[in-house]
Amino acid sequence: MSRKWLSNFALAGTIRLLLMNSEYQKTIGNRVEVSTALNSWKRVTEGVYLYEFGIDPYEGDLFHETPIGLYVFKLIQKYLPQWALFLLFVVTDLTTALCLAFTAKRYAIELATKRKEGKEDNRKSSDTPDTSALYVSAGYLFNPYIILNCVGLTTTVFTNLLYSIALVSMMRRSIFWSCMSIALLTLQGLYPVSLMVPATIHIASAAKNRRTNYFYIVTMIIIFTSVLTALFIISYNIMGSWSFLRNTLGFILTVPDLRPNIGLYWYFFTEMFEHFRWLFIASFQINVSLLYIVPLALRLRRDPMLLAFSYLAIAAIFKSYPCIGDVGFYISLLPLWKHLFQHMQQGFIVGCFLLFCTVFAPTVWHQWIYSRSANANFYFGVTLAFAIAQIFLLTDILFASVKHEFAVKHGINKKVNGNEAKLLLE
Amino acid sequence: MGLLTDPRAGTGKLIKLMLKWEKPLCFILYVGGIIWLMLLALPAFNDNTYFSENALLPGLVTKESNLEQTSKQYYHELIHEMKRYPDSMPYAWLSAKFSQLHLDVFVHNFSLIYPFQEQKFVGQNIYGIVRAPRASSTEAIVVSVPYRPINSIYLDTTPSVALLLAFAKFCRKQKYWAKDIIFLVTEHEQLGMQAWLDAYHGVTSGQEGILIAGDLSGRAGSIQAAINLEFHAMKITSIDVKIEGLNGQLPNLDLFNLAQNMIAKEGIRQSFQRRFDVNYRDKLKSWEYHFNTLMSMVVTQATGIPTGNHGLFHRFGIEAITLEGFQKSGRETEANFYQVGRVVESIVRSLNNLLERFHQSYFFYLLPSTDRYISIGLYMRPLVLIIAGVFIKAFSIWQRLQTSNNEKKNKIEEFDIGSVASEVLWAHIFGVLIMASPRFFALIGSRMFHLRTEDSLYASFALITIFTLLRRFYLRRSIKYENISLVCVIASIELATALMCIAMHNFSLALLTAIVYVPVILLITPHHKSASRLRSCQYIAWIILHPFIASAMVVMGYTYFNFPTDSVVSLLLRGYRANKQALVFSIVDSMIYGNWFYNVTTAVMLPIWLLFWNVMRSSAEVPS
Repeated sequence: MSRKWLSNFALAGTIRLLLMNSEYQKTIGNRVEVSTALNSWKRVTEGVYLYEFGIDPYEGDLFHETPIGLYVFKLIQKYLPQWALFLLFVVTDLTTALCLAFTAKRYAIELATKRKEGKEDNRKSSDTPDTSALYVSAGYLFNPYIILNCVGLTTTVFTNLLYSIALVSMMRRSIFWSCMSIALLTLQGLYPVSLMVPATIHIASAAKNRRTNYFYIVTMIIIFTSVLTALFIISYNIMGSWSFLRNTLGFILTVPDLRPNIGLYWYFFTEMFEHFRWLFIASFQINVSLLYIVPLALRLRRDPMLLAFSYLAIAAIFKSYPCIGDVGFYISLLPLWKHLFQHMQQGFIVGCFLLFCTVFAPTVWHQWIYSRSANANFYFGVTLAFAIAQIFLLTDILFASVKHEFAVKHGINKKVNGNEAKLLLE
Repeated sequence: MGLLTDPRAGTGKLIKLMLKWEKPLCFILYVGGIIWLMLLALPAFNDNTYFSENALLPGLVTKESNLEQTSKQYYHELIHEMKRYPDSMPYAWLSAKFSQLHLDVFVHNFSLIYPFQEQKFVGQNIYGIVRAPRASSTEAIVVSVPYRPINSIYLDTTPSVALLLAFAKFCRKQKYWAKDIIFLVTEHEQLGMQAWLDAYHGVTSGQEGILIAGDLSGRAGSIQAAINLEFHAMKITSIDVKIEGLNGQLPNLDLFNLAQNMIAKEGIRQSFQRRFDVNYRDKLKSWEYHFNTLMSMVVTQATGIPTGNHGLFHRFGIEAITLEGFQKSGRETEANFYQVGRVVESIVRSLNNLLERFHQSYFFYLLPSTDRYISIGLYMRPLVLIIAGVFIKAFSIWQRLQTSNNEKKNKIEEFDIGSVASEVLWAHIFGVLIMASPRFFALIGSRMFHLRTEDSLYASFALITIFTLLRRFYLRRSIKYENISLVCVIASIELATALMCIAMHNFSLALLTAIVYVPVILLITPHHKSASRLRSCQYIAWIILHPFIASAMVVMGYTYFNFPTDSVVSLLLRGYRANKQALVFSIVDSMIYGNWFYNVTTAVMLPIWLLFWNVMRSSAEVPS
């Protein structure tokens, strides 16, 4: 078993390093699907350069990392040679995979205990916690989206590490670390603030009685806000002004950069009359950040991990500057729900669609930008299809979990009066 | 929501029906696609061409040129000059003539380092620019001619050079130009053109360090459109408009229409694919004629090799066509350079009217005649029908696996994901390695066996073919039925996706590939036990479809088509030689021009072929 683990990690590391040192690195790094305005390494380099010259990088429209990120990247660019930089990205990615593996193991153990407590489901489960962890880590290590993301040297690699730390600390019920990682993520990307909901639910679920329950919730909120405030103050101290707010959080919220990416904003807001811009920005942002939080939290309160997964997926689909690194992250979590696969309906079609869009997007991009025989509509069509496929995937998983719950409650036997019965949601 | 998650969608009636009738359905789709494709040549299924770009204002100006005399004079001088340099271009004379016309004249040097032998070839292009009096050199039109020395094997283009000079003389005096006009005479056919375009845009289209384009000392604005001239005589009978470019890219349909209309307006016979518009009374005959024209275009486009120098412009987003004029062969009415000059003049003046780049009309189309077209929305459907069969096959195999899994229940985990993934991965790595290795093969061939490049490449590719064929013959293995099925599903989906992507770039290539591959693939199924007569037929069919063998057969067929009178032995010999050359050409083309035919064949089609070959050759364990 450990040999398998080791070989997986070694192979994944080698693939990444080989690709990074090949001629394709530049092409991959420049792809719009990989690098967006928020995470491109080119922009980081520019920002650090400006910063070292004593120019506020947030004055222009170039740099959108956080001041803390700026400080860290400055150190990285200053002291690390090229090969060490590559190595840093690869090691970060591998660490993320490891964290995800821990998360998966914990989650599988939790599921198993839940099953035992329930005792309704007497089936002997074939997947042990270890295999689940192996699948999740392999899903992350060999996920083409993640590999491209890492080879393209995007800062999403570090964001993903923070995500995985948030998940693992949520599973381990570590209050400080989940608050810390989620606060860092919020500072950087705003949308991950929703992860506080599943984290709080999961940590509070360990409470023995109502009072400790409230105690946990209040502590979480207090720690989170104080950490976030501290981070803002540190950022302010680094920069000496609040100008960074407009170019980090403001940049995410108001979507001024309409360079094409795999998201849905760019095309929509290029076509939009200026008059309606604010209305639609508000509705788009409400859609991604507020709309689903409460209903999903109510429905999935017993399964915070699934809740976190759906928040991640929703953010990756609808956020203002998504990249394939975000998509790859939640897709690699899919093996956690292996027990739901038998209830899923559109797995095949969704898979085909994702593959098709992934291959088709660069094709039509080439025709639009280089040979000028196609136009923006082609590319937008592909990204739209990509988003739809992801939405199908998410709804499919959620519905499968509902069906699974039903099956656990009423027994797995699908026979009613001797006939094969179907589960319908009408 | 109901639609999305209705579980009946999973095992509903429709799916059951599809599973039951999978094979017939796929074949109906295939046959339906082909019939639809054939119907496309009927007038009911295609449309009349029309001008979409109003700014062109075709044919609205009074034409003023009379190039007959001037071009004749230039022609005689040039013939005289050419005899002194039977192998190269009379650079001095050409640049002197351009200078006399007070054009900005520049010489462009380029060199080619032949990738396999470290040989160096050099060449020169000469171009003169008429600066636009009414604009500030931000846009340009190119009029070009490939120069061919007397000893060239291609048809003579001296008259076109004369026409180009005469036209330049005419343009110099006009004051209505809003775009610069670049008069370009290129050497070494497409090499010169590619080098000039690379240098103009400051890029390298092929691999680095092979075609060294250098830099240009003079530029005009961004090139909007280009006309390439290939007139083979001073008196011509018809003009053929050539459009197929590199990798099957086509110019905007408006430009093609413009050329066809202007030619017709001057009373010259126009043709496409060297086929004139013929009107038969008989509908069937007329359909057959148009269908043949259509297929002729499809075959030309599918090779991805440009039919003329215009084809290299397309990659830079420049619309370009070639006008080819043919010498009198029978008793046809002739057109002199007075008319031809007016055709060129009216086209260039229309282009001069353009307010923005060509964007209105179609970029994706097929042509059954000079005045009718089939747009992408029409021609994609038959292809999608054909490809849909492959998807349905993959889906039904997958669905069957799912249901059988559900029935067994005891074992959820049926696939050995690791082994399947590694099989798929290795097939692709193999393909990519072969794509990247011609240089290595040539090196080994020349160092160790003292073979010529052609021979060593041919030998190594033959060896690869034999190796891929043999590997499975003696390495018969038996793996789980589920794993073979999964490989089959993956390969089918990959093929379908790849074909759709190719279709976006080069529809004809995707179409021909689909027509040939799909029926055989529909027959390949993961099987529990082998040995039946049908199976051996399948083997033979699939071996023939090996990308290398298939392309060799195509070249053979082409040789036979061109030399039908030869005896079998000499045909085989010719075919063998042609094969070797075709192989080297396709590799060199991919290195110099960035033609991706070779890359797609080795890196996409070969792995897919290998995966299916694995599926065919492995017999499943009998499920216990």
